[in-house]
Amino acid sequence: MPPEKINSVAAFPVTFRPGRYAGLTGNQVVRGFFGGNAIVSVVVLGLITLFLLREGHGFFGQNRRNLEIYRAAGLEFVDILKRQEEGFGSLNRTLFEIRLAAGREKEPGSPMATAAELEAFDAYASELGDAAGPLRELVGELVETASAIKTKLVMNEDRLAERQHLLATGRQSEAGSIRIETIDSEAELRPLLESRARHSAISGSLAKSLVELSERMPSMSAPELQVLLGEFGELLRDYVASFPGIERQLAEWRHDREVSIFSAITAFLFGREWLTASFWQDWYGVLPLVTGSFLISLIALGLAVPLGVGAAVYVNQIARPSERSAIKPCIEFISAIPSVVLGFFGIAVLGEALRKVSHIAWLEWIPGFPIAERLNALTAGCLLGLIAVPIIFSLAEDALQNVPKSFKEASLALGASRIQTVVRIILPAGISGIISAVLLGLGRVIGETMVVLLCAGNRIAIPDFSAGPGVMTQPVHTMTGIIAQEMGEVVQGGIHYRALFAVGILLFCLSLMINLTAQRILGRYRLLSS
Amino acid sequence: MPVMDSSNTDLRIRTSMPAFASPVDIHQAPRALIEIENLDFHYGPHKVLHEISLQIPERQVTAFIGPSGCGKSTLLRCLNRMNDLIDGARVGAGRISIRGIDIHRSDVDVIELRKRLGMVFQKSNPFPKSIYENVAYGLRIQGVRDRSRLDEAVERSLQGAGLWDEVKDRLHTSGLGLSGGQQQRLCIARTIAVEPEIILMDEPCSALDPIATAKIEELIKELRSKFTIVIVTHNMQQAARCSDLTAFFYLGRLVEFSPTRTIFMNPVNPQTEAYVSGRFG
Ligand SMILES: Nc1ncnc2c1ncn2[C@@H]1O[C@H](COP(=O)(O)OP(=O)(O)O)[C@@H](O)[C@H]1O
Ligand SMILES: [Mg+2]
Repeated sequence: MPPEKINSVAAFPVTFRPGRYAGLTGNQVVRGFFGGNAIVSVVVLGLITLFLLREGHGFFGQNRRNLEIYRAAGLEFVDILKRQEEGFGSLNRTLFEIRLAAGREKEPGSPMATAAELEAFDAYASELGDAAGPLRELVGELVETASAIKTKLVMNEDRLAERQHLLATGRQSEAGSIRIETIDSEAELRPLLESRARHSAISGSLAKSLVELSERMPSMSAPELQVLLGEFGELLRDYVASFPGIERQLAEWRHDREVSIFSAITAFLFGREWLTASFWQDWYGVLPLVTGSFLISLIALGLAVPLGVGAAVYVNQIARPSERSAIKPCIEFISAIPSVVLGFFGIAVLGEALRKVSHIAWLEWIPGFPIAERLNALTAGCLLGLIAVPIIFSLAEDALQNVPKSFKEASLALGASRIQTVVRIILPAGISGIISAVLLGLGRVIGETMVVLLCAGNRIAIPDFSAGPGVMTQPVHTMTGIIAQEMGEVVQGGIHYRALFAVGILLFCLSLMINLTAQRILGRYRLLSS
Repeated sequence: MPVMDSSNTDLRIRTSMPAFASPVDIHQAPRALIEIENLDFHYGPHKVLHEISLQIPERQVTAFIGPSGCGKSTLLRCLNRMNDLIDGARVGAGRISIRGIDIHRSDVDVIELRKRLGMVFQKSNPFPKSIYENVAYGLRIQGVRDRSRLDEAVERSLQGAGLWDEVKDRLHTSGLGLSGGQQQRLCIARTIAVEPEIILMDEPCSALDPIATAKIEELIKELRSKFTIVIVTHNMQQAARCSDLTAFFYLGRLVEFSPTRTIFMNPVNPQTEAYVSGRFG
């Protein structure tokens, strides 16, 4: 380089002084701005987690107390008897169904059972129904006793809480004026415990009359009815055989056995009932909600995975560029539809349409058809599937895009067709990206609220899986739906309020797990492909 | 997609392409297997090949040389119609025929065509599968399931590619775990497993070290007894070492096509002279 060139470089003002703002250089301000944004989002996530934990963690203590009162007030004891009574009720229902079947006609003009047979059957049924009279009476009495004890315990509990609140805020005198009764549980529970002898007698005579009844079943000439009656006989004998177990449970029951915090947690996680504001006992079992959420998600993914992945394969591997630029924005636009609009659509159009279709006679073979409820897991699942399609599509398309083009070329050059190339090379090479796309879609679907609230039917019960695939057409409730629905009407700080937060924590953990798994799979896949 | 008749093992193009394994007497004068006549080729509005006419003989190694961007790869990819995949790429005029069949005719089955013209790419591209599955892939897509047939073909192809001894103990490990040179030989094995008639190689050694390059060149000399090879190369020594005929391209035109010795010793065209003596390119 000639020397004068060097001189001109030296003359260049390298000692450029950047402007300063509040003592910071422009560079530092820019850095601070972006860094600050990043930190804010991390902090917000942390705060949300903290808030959830703070509001939710108290639930387990409260639920433990809830279960303690359930035991101390003898509700648990009475529930044993109630189950015995319910068992009888279901026997009665079975008999009623047989009666319905017997009343039908095989073909027009030829009834299943003769009039004489029906008359004998009805007499038998009413005799059976009467046999449980004393048991019902006993349960009725004990329910009242136990409810009364519970009321006392709960009132005492409330007073105690109030006094503690007053003491904590320094109002000693007011606190002193609150009278706390001492409740003698032994004495209160005596009527319950003493009823055991009476129950034993009632149970014994019920067993005797049921055995006697099972030995003289009404006779029916129609073979179908004979089969049904045979089954009923089985049920009857099984029921009677369960009596000794019930006696044992009653004898072993103790009102002061400790309720562990562990059982309060399992009662939440594996409880089969979510029952609030009930006169008898509240249950906060999350299982019906979890199964509801997963059932809907499964339906949604069943729909969204083939659609999303299929569309991704088409757009990425088969479509011409003009098609690609037409299809991509269309699919991605779906995610711009507000979910409440989809919910409306579900209620107004899809639910009704599905139900109408399900009532077409020649479609009856499809499991779950005809659909009884307009709003059910299937309606919500279809809409959620629609919501998941763009996510799965975009991410799966990215995954396919990341598969090196050279694999495709090599495969085609060996004489593979496009389809063979996609199925044997491209999809396997992109599979981890596709799996994480599906998982992220699942995360989105599990967390979606509006659509399930509007379209899932909101029945809090574990769907009846014995219906096979037909389970899809039952109404369900979900974790997100219950929070949205009940949060507005609960007492802040109460057990129900905290239970909803506990559901929120569970949901949060599930989503976190799903996302982390997806990230890990994606990370491994990136390592592999680079 | 046309229906393939899997019982028909002589790999015919849907029309009356002559049988693949036609007996050829090596001592006979080589006759043109691939004939390119006045070929013009366009990428969208850009014409990149101009009136190329070239006759590639059977069981010889033909090298394409020329400065980069002159259209060697494009011409090579015309032969197995890989350019079909590129949007807007089209043949403007002229024709390519293999054994007298115009390969751009509408009733030519591209899939069958590609089975007969294997291709080895510049950057080795084994599938993310085991070594065994890489080699067996071409047969599997043809519907071959028979394990012993696959085993036999895999061994034969790996031996043909000079890779068998190095990998026979780890056939079921990933093909991506091999070294660059081994990967490229694996790609060659994969190509010869489907028993093509012609092997197209697009700068197969450009990413390899000298030792791996020497091995591939050795391999090319061996393969020449069984296959017709067309190789694009940047490296003139390579063309000189392992080809029988050389075509020199410049700016999308064929400048000179002669036996390799002639091209390097006494080229007719001054441009060729300048290029092979390293004065430009
Ligand atoms: N896919 C493509 N689309 C458009 N132009 C291309 C494409 N591939 C190659 N070309 C152009 O065609 C010309 C020839 O390219 P190529 O055949 O790759 O040359 P070479 O292999 O001799 O280096 C170049 O000018 C290149 O820019
Ligand atoms: Mg090239």
